[in-house]
Amino acid sequence: MSVRRLTIPGRLEAIEAACECVEAGAQDAGFDESTSYACQLAVAEACENIVIHGYGRQAGGDIRLEVSAAPGALTIRLEDSAPPFNPARRPDDQEWDRHDPPVGGLGLHIIHRVMDRVSYARRASHNRLTMRKHLARTSG
Amino acid sequence: MEIQTQEYKRIAVVTVTGRIDSATSADLEAALQALIDKGKKNLVLDLAGVEFLSSSGLRVLVNAFKACKGAGELCIAQPSERAASSLSIAGVDTLFAIHPTREAAVASF
Repeated sequence: MSVRRLTIPGRLEAIEAACECVEAGAQDAGFDESTSYACQLAVAEACENIVIHGYGRQAGGDIRLEVSAAPGALTIRLEDSAPPFNPARRPDDQEWDRHDPPVGGLGLHIIHRVMDRVSYARRASHNRLTMRKHLARTSG
Repeated sequence: MEIQTQEYKRIAVVTVTGRIDSATSADLEAALQALIDKGKKNLVLDLAGVEFLSSSGLRVLVNAFKACKGAGELCIAQPSERAASSLSIAGVDTLFAIHPTREAAVASF
């Protein structure tokens, strides 16, 4: 099992570093490139929500990231000090209308499409988002 | 992220390489809007060199698609595996015409 910890400033430009941390963890977990990318996408979306909606693009807040990898399993935990926001609520499946496609809510949609479990807690004035991804088990 | 634009008589081809995310998507939005403002609404978006495509970038693509609709079309050419994966995960892969090559995309107009 490996654990990686990283604190990034709550700025859009810093999110790439969080993705790189997840990429390294996904490699430890034995994820293929496609699954690793999906996890990076989910953490990017979660971080974007924190920076844009949580911190309101204002400087000052940090995002603490912890990535725990075990064979076939990855746990990503994000903590921030922004006002309460619960991304663990699964959005309704979006029905795409080719004539008028919606543009909002894509980030949450992606997080819930990619990750197997998404949970949220508010502790000591901090948001804690935990996302888990497991490789599908094969019988045999 | 790098953006290259080639304008032809009837269409424009926009080649994007690198990372399209919340830190960079405004630049892509501006490039596409500049073409649309000039009346270029037949657009080919070459995503072969895209390394990352988040919802911020997808929103730019969907908005540009809507802006072109009626007077033209925005289609996608040879998306990288990662770009194709983002389109699919977000459920917008059925929205765009996606062509396997740039030539096929250009020829579709």
